[in-house]
Amino acid sequence: MNRAYEETARNHQLAGGEGYSYEGRMWEEGRGDGGMDELLAVLGYKVKSSDMADVAQKIEQLEMAMGTVQDDGISHLSCDTIHYNPSDISRWLESMLSELNPSQTFDPNGSFSSIQSTVLGQQPQSSIVSSTVPSRIYEDDSEYDLRVIPGIAACKSADSTSDLQIEGSCKRMKRDSCQISTFPVNSAATAGSVPETTRPLVLVDSQEAGVRLVHALIACAKAVQNDNLQFADALLKQIGLLAVSQAGAMRKVATYFAEALARRIYDIYPQKSSIDPSLSDVLQMHFYETCPCLKFGHVTANQAIMEAFAGSPRVHVIDFSIKQGMQWPALVQALAWRPGGPPAFRLTGIGPRQPDNIDALQQVGWKLAQLADTIGVEFHYRGFVYESLADLEPSVLDIRPSAEETVAVNSVFELHRLLARPGSIEKVLSTVKALRPKIVTIIEQEANHNGPVFLDRFNEALHYYSTMFDSLEGCGLTQPNSQALAMSEVYLGRQICNVVACEGTERVERHETLTQWRARMDSSGFDPVHLGSNAFKQASMLLALFPGCDGYRVEENDGCLMLGWHSRPLISTSAWRLAAG
Amino acid sequence: MAEGRRTIIGAKKPKFCINDHRDLLVEIMKRLDARSLGVAACVCRLWCSITRNDALWEHLCFRHALSPPSGVRTVVVALGGYKRLYMVCVEPVLSRLGTVKIGLDGDSGGGGTDGDSEVVRRVWRRYGTQLSLSLFSVDYYERLGARPDDSSASSLTFLCEPVNLGRC
Repeated sequence: MNRAYEETARNHQLAGGEGYSYEGRMWEEGRGDGGMDELLAVLGYKVKSSDMADVAQKIEQLEMAMGTVQDDGISHLSCDTIHYNPSDISRWLESMLSELNPSQTFDPNGSFSSIQSTVLGQQPQSSIVSSTVPSRIYEDDSEYDLRVIPGIAACKSADSTSDLQIEGSCKRMKRDSCQISTFPVNSAATAGSVPETTRPLVLVDSQEAGVRLVHALIACAKAVQNDNLQFADALLKQIGLLAVSQAGAMRKVATYFAEALARRIYDIYPQKSSIDPSLSDVLQMHFYETCPCLKFGHVTANQAIMEAFAGSPRVHVIDFSIKQGMQWPALVQALAWRPGGPPAFRLTGIGPRQPDNIDALQQVGWKLAQLADTIGVEFHYRGFVYESLADLEPSVLDIRPSAEETVAVNSVFELHRLLARPGSIEKVLSTVKALRPKIVTIIEQEANHNGPVFLDRFNEALHYYSTMFDSLEGCGLTQPNSQALAMSEVYLGRQICNVVACEGTERVERHETLTQWRARMDSSGFDPVHLGSNAFKQASMLLALFPGCDGYRVEENDGCLMLGWHSRPLISTSAWRLAAG
Repeated sequence: MAEGRRTIIGAKKPKFCINDHRDLLVEIMKRLDARSLGVAACVCRLWCSITRNDALWEHLCFRHALSPPSGVRTVVVALGGYKRLYMVCVEPVLSRLGTVKIGLDGDSGGGGTDGDSEVVRRVWRRYGTQLSLSLFSVDYYERLGARPDDSSASSLTFLCEPVNLGRC
């Protein structure tokens, strides 16, 4: 702080210390700052030392504002070094800011000063607000002035503001020195929660609209969280315009999130009963084709199951989400030529009720039976229709004693749906324990989309699905079948819609991280089983087969395997057994 | 006439015709790559029938991998044969693995391409059989449900790259 005082004092002396016409601030009583205010007053500054922080903030905001609105006809300000009355910095700043934002009626937080404090990062969750284009460009008639103060990097702490050279900052309003926190959404994305650890980057013009788009999305989510629905609606229009200007994955992600936000605002999410399970099966099928995520899960889970089944003459697999049964042909054929001959293989498939009386479960069973018959494996199949796994009773599954038959339980993207109803997951895990399985394989998305705060969920989901869409784009470049790619995107889009627009029991896409699942399984009486190097190498080789998907990485995480795109994990496979004792 | 001696003028020289020696032909063809086998199949009917022999393709499939256990043959034959296994699974995998690195031991950036491809080939030798058989079984499974004219849905489309014959 002292350095700032000295420099302002020096500057004032150089400028000749001309008079000022100060009308703004009033001296308050009780100055206990050691005479600093007096010193400033003597020099001609009608500003208190305690106001210095405010002054610095305003300079910072001004810098941000100038940087971001450069192409809107105010660019002269960024190069203009002439200002009036350097001794009256506070008032000058206010006049500059009011020039940029003539009507300061916009106030999502209730007071201008509270925006400043949030901007300083004292409330890390809400520091980023939109930096949208001034309304005079779009001629927007909405009653909300959308020219909010652009958010600054939350990494700027209160200490660093004192280092701002107040006289120097007036001169260096250049575009390339502008620092704005960006949301890492492109393929160079790195993991990390956004509001706390945003990194300042030097912007180039082409990404500016993308940054604004992200800021707009987050601001809209924040408005929705604060129940400020009219403002959120106004932001949606901006988002729509910005999204169109983007290309590729960013555009698709923004479109889906905007649609989900719209659904949340207008409360028009279709009821769960109208979602067609067969349609979601088809979509997942296409996702299976285009993206290695599901294949990765299947390969690693099958390897764990094979290792658990070593030496057993009779084996039983219970699949909590049989869908099209794509995981099991590979397991059946691997069992067929395992040393010692194939076991008797029993498969129990569990799935939701299909409309139109189509018995999808039986079709899957029939196809697998044909495959098993062709390659000489004794095969039995039973299908069960359940709306929720929590309704499943262990007695229904006809479990034979462990000495006779080895049991494996498999769940792909299914357990997180149980978190929508309290008590369901505990019931299902106790059912699993009652089945006395030798191994339980769980494949889940690696993201925390189940936090209590909507904005956190939104940010996490934005980050996660941006990475997912990037990875799809990378894969899709060499795909001959663009229809499958489009369907995969719809599949992900439906998940986005569910995470953002729904609440309560309808929000079934309650993804949780591997750490959270580990804690839950540990407390439910399961011990982890390490997936071996065989699984790791097979998964790596599988990924190497995907052309154009060089961004995928297999990582080992304390015995579990994770598939990630660049450094962001997407899918995790973990294996468990009943705790000893 | 002396049978052991050959004279340039007038004597009958026993001609060596490879087509008379089918076993030799098979031995030679075992050492060819897939494209050459395809070319050989166009030579004459005899060669065509020999190249259709699945044993040749079995040899080709496992040329770069550890020889699989005995039970594999029945499985592969049942699922469509070694020729199909090669065309659908092994060939794309081998051609892909020749050009990519696998991040097996952490990040394998920095090592020379020779070292990387050696690692890749080693991994392929151990695990390639399992992987290609898994893919093959998925292929069979999908063909079970598909109608004869339905060629759209296939989870192995990611292996289908336009073949660049100039690469051979």
